[in-house]
Amino acid sequence: MDRSSSSARPTTAQRLASCFTGPGVGVLSRSLAAMLGGYALASVTSVFCAVALPGARGQAVLTGMLVAIIVCACAALWAFAARTALHAWAGILLPALLMAAVARALGAWA
Amino acid sequence: MMLLSLCVSFTAFAALSLAMEKHQQDLHGRRAALLLRRRSWSVLGWLLLAVAFGLCIGEHGWAMGPVVWLGTLTLSGIALAFGLYPWKPHWVVPLAVLLPVIGLIAAI
Amino acid sequence: MKNGFRQSMAWLHTWTGLLVGWLLLLIFMAGTASYYREEISRWMRPELPATTVSTDVAAARAVQYLQAHAGQAETWFVTLPDPRNPAMRLFWRNPESLAKPPVDGERRRRGGGRFGDATVDPNTGDKLEARDTRGGEFFYRLHFDLHYIPVVWARYLVGFCAMFMLVAIITGVITHKKIFKDFFTFRKDKGLRSWLDFHNVSAVMALPYHAMITYTGIVTLMVMYLPWGIKVAYPTDENAFFSEAFGGMPEVSAPAEGRSSPLPITRLLESARAHWQGVDVSGFTVTHPGAANAVIDIRQRDGRRLSTDTPALRYDMVSGQLLSETPASGAATATRGVLYGLHLARFADWGLRAFFFVSGLIGCLMVASGVVLWAVKERPKHAKRSRIGFGLRLVDALNIGAVAGLPIAFAAYFWGNRLLPVRLPERADAEVSVFFYAWAAALLAGFIWPRRSMWTGLLYLGAVLFALLPLLNALTTQAHLGVTMVSGDWVLAGFDLVMLAFGAMLALCGWRMQRWTPPISAAEKKKRAALQAGTAGAGA
Repeated sequence: MDRSSSSARPTTAQRLASCFTGPGVGVLSRSLAAMLGGYALASVTSVFCAVALPGARGQAVLTGMLVAIIVCACAALWAFAARTALHAWAGILLPALLMAAVARALGAWA
Repeated sequence: MMLLSLCVSFTAFAALSLAMEKHQQDLHGRRAALLLRRRSWSVLGWLLLAVAFGLCIGEHGWAMGPVVWLGTLTLSGIALAFGLYPWKPHWVVPLAVLLPVIGLIAAI
Repeated sequence: MKNGFRQSMAWLHTWTGLLVGWLLLLIFMAGTASYYREEISRWMRPELPATTVSTDVAAARAVQYLQAHAGQAETWFVTLPDPRNPAMRLFWRNPESLAKPPVDGERRRRGGGRFGDATVDPNTGDKLEARDTRGGEFFYRLHFDLHYIPVVWARYLVGFCAMFMLVAIITGVITHKKIFKDFFTFRKDKGLRSWLDFHNVSAVMALPYHAMITYTGIVTLMVMYLPWGIKVAYPTDENAFFSEAFGGMPEVSAPAEGRSSPLPITRLLESARAHWQGVDVSGFTVTHPGAANAVIDIRQRDGRRLSTDTPALRYDMVSGQLLSETPASGAATATRGVLYGLHLARFADWGLRAFFFVSGLIGCLMVASGVVLWAVKERPKHAKRSRIGFGLRLVDALNIGAVAGLPIAFAAYFWGNRLLPVRLPERADAEVSVFFYAWAAALLAGFIWPRRSMWTGLLYLGAVLFALLPLLNALTTQAHLGVTMVSGDWVLAGFDLVMLAFGAMLALCGWRMQRWTPPISAAEKKKRAALQAGTAGAGA
């Protein structure tokens, strides 16, 4: 009659935890990284280019937009090519934060 | 002029396809041509692609020329892959020879 | 998560393609049709005259009409006729004080009642009476503004789909291991293998086009999608960005007091042509017509360069003096102009336009074969069960509704144009409704009966609708093939002939669908061969 805990019905806490470790979560996480993270990275790229590129302001802004589109696509590829979902987020958020910091230093959002 | 570049592109792609063993087999059954023969098709194909490119640039300039060239490649490729090889593979070589001649006559 | 880079890219390709494939099919079909929007508009208004006059005569008529009907406007905007569009379009903007307030019950006019427009016959200078229709412009707007939803939402949605498509293209190339070896490979009559080959070849053969059209599509609306750079670089005055980046003419000062009569338009156009060493004019904009400081911006005709930024010259309308020219563009502006130009293809002459159109059709085939391929691949997994799973059933229904249903909707739009009464109020909207009712019916049919018989039925229906259009044209107008082929009006004749061609293609697809038999597996073939040998042996 003595049952080990592993064969007993899972507790609420265990069931909740499994929500975050199932296979679907990785896909969802990566998808969010690709879409939301990708757009965020693209936006920061366009801002970075707008302030960092030499030459006329208008040209820098336009160049930033043209480049940002490509960056967004690349972010989506990275999100699904990275080894883990965590790597996916890191590879997108870290460059974004870096560029944001540099842009801030160069005068953006002053 | 555009007709000529289209015809030359067709022949270029035909030559490049013949350089592939798979399509050699389409045409000649089990016996594929020798490697040397296939190499020469390949060289001819690339050469004709360059000729077609030159024709397009000459006629339309450096801005529109490449666009036209890519258009001729698309049309030729579709004709070969979706039209000729599945249904009439034996027309490939005769057309590849005939079309540039027609194009040349039309251009003059 | 998945083993290997290629496999994860393959997974990504499948899902970015499948999730937005049906909407992309609409966007691609409408966009491809837009290459010929002027010609479609002409076919849909057969009352319009076909003859063309010289630009000078047309311009004089335009000015005449505008002086009579829009004398107090702030701006006149004239598009002169060209071989693709023989009618002349005039727009004008009235000053605030003359804005017409909306009448109760009437739909709110675009621009707050300040805009006016007219389509004018360049021969006579009179306003043209033709049936109210949106013509080819409907397809053009449909492919980025969609319909029934606010324009801003639609553009975000279309941009989202375009980004998915861009990722699908890139992952498709990465995943296609034998992209060079299988460059010309299409193995017919082999079921799944054939669908895959078809999808691959249609994608690869027009790959430069697909990549270009998708990227440039996003570029056309990039200012809306990524406005953050502007806000950061121009924190106080965003309008300065637009004047700096899009290389326009300087702002015109307020209208001066006093009126003076301007020089004849033909003289001004002549000066422009002389300046451009003979290149013709495509249209002009007059600011403060009739005032002492009226200026005219004369635009060059398209077709000489890829960029949409056509050069313009600004003249003082009273003295004829050249005031300014479009300034040389910065590198990014020029690049963006070329990319925008590649998407719109305004520069394309008839041959190049045909290339673009065919490439667009190949794109439609690529997307369609992709979504069908997924269903074909998925079906054997459901063979064990008695019922098809929800996902596959949904995909089957959407495939039928989109791949077979959209052509029906397009054809129905043209049928509506010929059959709806000419004097019907809100006629243009009624034609658009026909398009969507037809599509809705096809989608419903797909959901009710997502089987091969429905595929066949809808494909044949589409074939009939397209093929009978020239006949309908002959029964309802004087602009049918019998007249147009004889008079050499290849725009109208070409439209009818292309409709016939589409009808034939759809009929071929329907026929193949009807004759399709399920493939016999290798094991089954062996069993049948053994059985035959067995009976032969027993008989001997």
